Amino acid sequence: MDQKKYLTCNVLYREIQGRQAGILFPALLSVLFLICALPFIPWVSLTNISALFSALSITSEAAQNLYVSYNVVNLLSFVYYSEQGFLGLYAMILLLLDVAAIYFHVMNIYRFARYQKGVHGNLDLYAAGRLSMEFEMIVTAGTIGFAAYGNAKAGMKGFATSPLVYFLFLLALVSYLAIKVIEREERIRYHEHGLLKELRKNWVLFLMLVPMFIYFLINSYLPMLGIYLAFTNFNFRDGVWASPFVGLQNFQYLIKADLFKLIRNTVLYNVVFIGVGNVLQILFAILVSQVPKKWFKKTSQTFLFMPYFVSFVILQVLVYNMFEYQYGVINNIVTSLGGSRIDFYNTPSYWPVLITIFYLWKNIGYGMVVYLATIMGIDGELYDAAKVDGANAFQQIWYITLPQIKPTFIILLLYALGSIMKGQFELFYQLVGTNGVLYNVTDIFDTYVYRIALTQPLSIGLGTAAGLFQSLFGFVVVMVTNFLVKRKNEEYALF
Amino acid sequence: MKIKKAKTTILLEIICYVVLGVSALACVLPFIIIISGSLTDNATILKEGYSILPKNITLDAYLTIFKAPQDILQAYKMTLFYTIVGTAVGLLMITLTAYVLSRKAFKYRNEVSFIIYFTSIFGGGTIPWYLMYTNVLNLKGTTFVMWFPGLMSPFLVILMRTFIANSVPDAITEAATIDGAGHVDIFARIVMPVLKPGLATVGLFLALGYWNDWYRSSMFATSSKTWELQYYLYDLLNATTALKQLSQYTSIASVDLPTQSVKLAMAVVVTGPILLVYPFVQRYFVSGITVGAVKG
Repeated sequence: MDQKKYLTCNVLYREIQGRQAGILFPALLSVLFLICALPFIPWVSLTNISALFSALSITSEAAQNLYVSYNVVNLLSFVYYSEQGFLGLYAMILLLLDVAAIYFHVMNIYRFARYQKGVHGNLDLYAAGRLSMEFEMIVTAGTIGFAAYGNAKAGMKGFATSPLVYFLFLLALVSYLAIKVIEREERIRYHEHGLLKELRKNWVLFLMLVPMFIYFLINSYLPMLGIYLAFTNFNFRDGVWASPFVGLQNFQYLIKADLFKLIRNTVLYNVVFIGVGNVLQILFAILVSQVPKKWFKKTSQTFLFMPYFVSFVILQVLVYNMFEYQYGVINNIVTSLGGSRIDFYNTPSYWPVLITIFYLWKNIGYGMVVYLATIMGIDGELYDAAKVDGANAFQQIWYITLPQIKPTFIILLLYALGSIMKGQFELFYQLVGTNGVLYNVTDIFDTYVYRIALTQPLSIGLGTAAGLFQSLFGFVVVMVTNFLVKRKNEEYALF
Repeated sequence: MKIKKAKTTILLEIICYVVLGVSALACVLPFIIIISGSLTDNATILKEGYSILPKNITLDAYLTIFKAPQDILQAYKMTLFYTIVGTAVGLLMITLTAYVLSRKAFKYRNEVSFIIYFTSIFGGGTIPWYLMYTNVLNLKGTTFVMWFPGLMSPFLVILMRTFIANSVPDAITEAATIDGAGHVDIFARIVMPVLKPGLATVGLFLALGYWNDWYRSSMFATSSKTWELQYYLYDLLNATTALKQLSQYTSIASVDLPTQSVKLAMAVVVTGPILLVYPFVQRYFVSGITVGAVKG
């Protein structure tokens, strides 16, 4: 090892109770940073208060709720009470970054406390320390920027960054560099290169990913910033970024008005779709695989798959022609049997069943093929051995086929759980449309938001709040289930 | 012993034939009714309802559609354009991504996979997504916004990645690397040739998504010039329903309302092409669909 380098960082390398001193400092610093993140520690303070308030046209009434100084944690309350919409998004992003930084600090301390050398030596520990320092730097720099941005917008010097913030920034920077230095030796020992070296080595692979990154950035990641709209009272005069910040008002309204109904409908439909759907898909896959005649196997597979090709618009034509009051197929049959016509389109109680049936009709063939692919891949010797042991056809299915498709089932289930709050928008919208009579049992998050987006531009904040709730719920569900599955059997976990 | 075994097998086969036969019929029946309805003249439908075999066969409905074909041909043209461009570009992007994620040599494959998967469990929701394209990028009314949002989906990327990982073992690409081949070479000469089932499957899903889409038209179109076929149909149907409701209350005669058989003929014209593609792709289907976890 390079003797000179060893000497410069001598202190950092010294081991105390098996922990390198170099990693002790970041852990201690994390404690300090956590203390500094407490709400009563001032990061940004207001100066020239009276001039600032008149520049931002803050009323004296609103001013009563304001403090003299703020931490990142309660910065949003300033935006809320002073009604400065233009600062809202900035404050919210800062808050999220701060929450992330706090989380990484806690993880850093936790990792240090539960220290054990892993397969990569101390690298995991260093990574945790580095991450917490990186985020600390971002948050402190962001705070400095916040004051500057506020000043620029107000046209005067009204926000002052506390010297503490500059100090914390430097501290995080120094600590970050220190970790980088002591980490190097470990990296070389375990042949773990950093991102830069990897980039240089495999740049072609990275280049191949560029279109994908651009796509998901535009289509998914940048729109995530728009979540901020859920906390605003959107109006077109102020536009997207300067509409008044209203805190949780949209959520409160949502809870009072429609939230329960939306959750109930969305989750119940999805549970039925996933449950009944998977059972039938597995059943059909097994049946198709058991058919001896090849032509029958192929034809039934083709036919079962055909509904998947029908667009939802066509499905609407189909359903309408079947269930229409005057000349629909069903009512024709009912009247010819001597019954009286059924008014499907004005009777909500029929629709949960009808929607489920048409979902299954459309999707069974597709799911069946997925399971069929797994069944085709099962080793034939297993069945041969079972036959020798005298297992009949049903026993073979029960003891061989079903256990063999279990991994596929679990993976599909986990993917489905991830979107348990995402409704089958097109199915519901095309079958129900704008028929308000049926909303109580057919309105799901997606149809609710779609209606708001297209017809009530003033409720955009509300629609976004509903969307955010939907996202968060699905996210939590999939994280928890994946965690549980991972604890039980690592191989079945999704990630 | 032997007889008993045969009995259960026979029983199972009978179940197979009956259940599959009945369900296959249930799946196909609506198609048959639609086709036969489109060939029946409208008066018969109204009088006698639908039937499996068309009575009083007539091509009137189809002739009505193509009497003034500009609108539907425009929608056809646009949909074909979106489908071809979207499927080609999407397939390329998905395959490139999937190839990289399937290689053990790429150290960050699990992280990148998660970045992709994350978009399917968390997002800004419909409204921020809509504002992104309309207000931020100012793309409302363009043709670009009709195909761009449908290019990729996390599920298709993972499908393709699992397929490549299974059909091109790491050992092969590693050996090629040692022989001096670059990743572009490996991708074009070793990976692409064995990808037929995967490409067919993912390509069909993409094409189907484009062909059946009406949502983007309803969100982004500013004139009927850029409408997708399905939205054209949707608009026509809704206009019909609205007009019909109106004519119940007022004395407006039902002029120019598409009749039942015209609607059904429309459904045939709209669904036909994508259904015709399926038989060509079907043989790759079972081997092409391979689901795997996000991590690889």
